[in-house]
Amino acid sequence: MVRLDSFAVFFKIIISAATAATILFSVRSAELDPETKGEYYALLLAVTLGMYLMASSTHLLMIYLSLETVSLTSYILAGFLTHSPRSSEAAFKYITFGAISSGTMLFGISLLFGMTGTGDIMLISSRLGEMFSQGDVYPLAVLLSITFILAGVGYKIASVPFHMWSPDVYEGAPIPITAFLSVASKSAGFAMFIRLFYSGFKSADASIDWSLMLAVVSALTMTVGNLAALPQQNVKRLLAYSSISHGGFLLMGGVLLTSEGLQAILIYLVIYLFMNLGAFFVVILIANEVGSETIDGYRGLGSRAPLIAVSMAIFLFSLTGLPPLAGFAGKWILFAAVIKEKLYWLAIIGLLNSVVALYYYVRIVKAMFLETSDDTESLSFSPGSLVLLLVFVVPTLLLGIYWNPLYELSRVSLGKLMG
Amino acid sequence: MSVALFIVLAVFILGGGLAVVVTRNVVQAALALLVSLVAVAGIYLVLYAEFLALVQVLIYGGAIVIVLIFAIMLTRNAEYPRTSDNRQWPLAALAALGLLGVLVPSFLINAVRGTEPSNASFTGIGESLFTTWAVPFEVASLVLLVALIGAIIIARSGPGEN
Repeated sequence: MVRLDSFAVFFKIIISAATAATILFSVRSAELDPETKGEYYALLLAVTLGMYLMASSTHLLMIYLSLETVSLTSYILAGFLTHSPRSSEAAFKYITFGAISSGTMLFGISLLFGMTGTGDIMLISSRLGEMFSQGDVYPLAVLLSITFILAGVGYKIASVPFHMWSPDVYEGAPIPITAFLSVASKSAGFAMFIRLFYSGFKSADASIDWSLMLAVVSALTMTVGNLAALPQQNVKRLLAYSSISHGGFLLMGGVLLTSEGLQAILIYLVIYLFMNLGAFFVVILIANEVGSETIDGYRGLGSRAPLIAVSMAIFLFSLTGLPPLAGFAGKWILFAAVIKEKLYWLAIIGLLNSVVALYYYVRIVKAMFLETSDDTESLSFSPGSLVLLLVFVVPTLLLGIYWNPLYELSRVSLGKLMG
Repeated sequence: MSVALFIVLAVFILGGGLAVVVTRNVVQAALALLVSLVAVAGIYLVLYAEFLALVQVLIYGGAIVIVLIFAIMLTRNAEYPRTSDNRQWPLAALAALGLLGVLVPSFLINAVRGTEPSNASFTGIGESLFTTWAVPFEVASLVLLVALIGAIIIARSGPGEN
């Protein structure tokens, strides 16, 4: 039902780190109503518990239940600013989309349960292997049920064509929740994806070519996320689309489910945690001080708040994937895993997308350093905020040069999963 | 005998479902849904799962459809008669028929396992809910708690109250 192995612990650490960061961000956020803070933190802990369960579940029913826990709590957290119409719109779109995706996933789960007679993922794996070797199975039906389950998983990791909720929700939700959703929700979704597809469906992949389907989804996700981010003016929306494209990069590692690919996913998730949370923290700080969430609000930040501007530049360049920052290391490991499996077309699409992404990330850097704003007083931030910012900057700098401990940690975490 | 019962119930389920999708009156759609769901409870009875049939009638018929009709009543006063006006129904019908075309051969070829009722009595379900299925049970109660808290947060806010 629920399994405690090193794989689950790895993801629980990532999710706990994201939750801790979100709590620290929420303390500093000026958006949240002090009256409902108790419920806010309670819901945040509930969604963390749901994500722990998502990372550890090995039964189809448990996977669905934990997914629903996380989804329902996320809907409420996204709509938490009840006086803001954008927040309510975000919650409404999230609910509608999430309900349809969860329903589709449940239909796929029921089909799979009917065909194999069990809900436990390990047993499904052996039953599918048996059924395919005996030949008394209709492959199209298994493919259909896997596709429906992929609908639910794809919604959680915001991959095309289930990504439509992501920009609106990220834009409307309170910024700490956006940061949390972009990192923790994606990590939990990938944990679920790896458990389902690696532990559950790998025995069926000789007869059904779902790896091609995953590769196409990955390529589309990267491309759509990047192209849609190009014209964005709102920084939250831009980071939402960039987050979608990073989901596509992560999915690249999961296409053929080799151990290198899965390791690359785990490593990139940790690096992505630091980069993305750091970027969102800067967005929170600027939104509190300047009151703006658009790129125009970042003008002249290089002179007004140099430490913040340099940190933001580090995060943005790391998100692009420029050496010697952590994002480059993560992308390199991912591409190495993809090229090793000879999926050259996917690697080329990934490279082209990284190049295109540079444009919209550098637009913010250009606004910060090369443009001036009318308001030229320098901004001051509390020492606590600066220390928290450094907590994200330092790993982004270090992991680009020395990522070996992370490599070993991910290899150990995957060890039990393979067996 | 059970085949005849199944066919009668299936007619109600499919008829109800079709009526939900086809009718233009939202209230009629909700009531057709009720017919369909209570017929599903009948199927559960044919399969000797009395607890499930009871729960189906209670929760689906007694709670969900009621809430649906309340929601319609509270939000759609002026637009009762003509609300569903969907021009995409040919595409939807095509997709549904395609799904049927894939599912029917699969259920004819694959043996559907797990159809032997095991521990489906009231005591059996109660026992397994607290032993084999204890963790999903507790997680489900967490889901309910979260939904309750969320509903109160969203519904409570009024303009500028202190």
